[in-house]
Amino acid sequence: MARHPAIANRVRTLRLLAGEMTQAELGERIGVTRQTIAAIEAGKYSPTLEAAFRIAEVFGKRLDEVFCWLADGGEASAAWRESGRD
Amino acid sequence: MAYVETNPMAYRERIAWLSLIAMAVTFGPYFTVMALSPPTAPLPDLGTMGWFALTVGCQAVILAVGHGVLRWRHAADARAPADERDRAISRRSLGAAYYVLIAGVILVGCVMPFQSAGWRLINAAVAAIVLAEVVRYGVAAYCYRRGFHG
Repeated sequence: MARHPAIANRVRTLRLLAGEMTQAELGERIGVTRQTIAAIEAGKYSPTLEAAFRIAEVFGKRLDEVFCWLADGGEASAAWRESGRD
Repeated sequence: MAYVETNPMAYRERIAWLSLIAMAVTFGPYFTVMALSPPTAPLPDLGTMGWFALTVGCQAVILAVGHGVLRWRHAADARAPADERDRAISRRSLGAAYYVLIAGVILVGCVMPFQSAGWRLINAAVAAIVLAEVVRYGVAAYCYRRGFHG
């Protein structure tokens, strides 16, 4: 149940860059509650593929620019971390 | 800063905690009384039935008041339909509770009738239902608090 999250994300950073969009605003746009957005950001919930695509669409990013699969529960790849520094 | 928000408690997590508390403060004392002084009078035993009715009544009142307060304090969250996380956690918790209930049904319906009868049997059935509900809401609260990754 509560195992190490297998997917990292930079939703919080992207909200900041999108004019400090609130969790409630993002949740409303993709059809989930603000608590679910908070859980996604905290790594406490891995969204469905559909929700992940919707989040990426809101920020005008590709899916792999927002989410990163952590192989074997490890860290995000250096390439992914680097891609967020634009 | 608007973008930095803490991890707020989901409305359905509040409902899960409310349900757990309601069961703890009503069926906890009920089963304690039943364990300490098991009913010996023949059925229907109005005294024991009264205890049971009082327990169920108290639980209903606690849940009604609790739901009312939560809806009043978190009106927007209460109106929002369940989202994908709520539905996933609900499936997980119902799945866990199902096995507890099935085990209870087998015990009460297939094993205990050969050894027990009367209120002992009735209370075992009630205990199976309460335990299944505790597992359901307990798993839900755990998944909301500690995280859930499908």
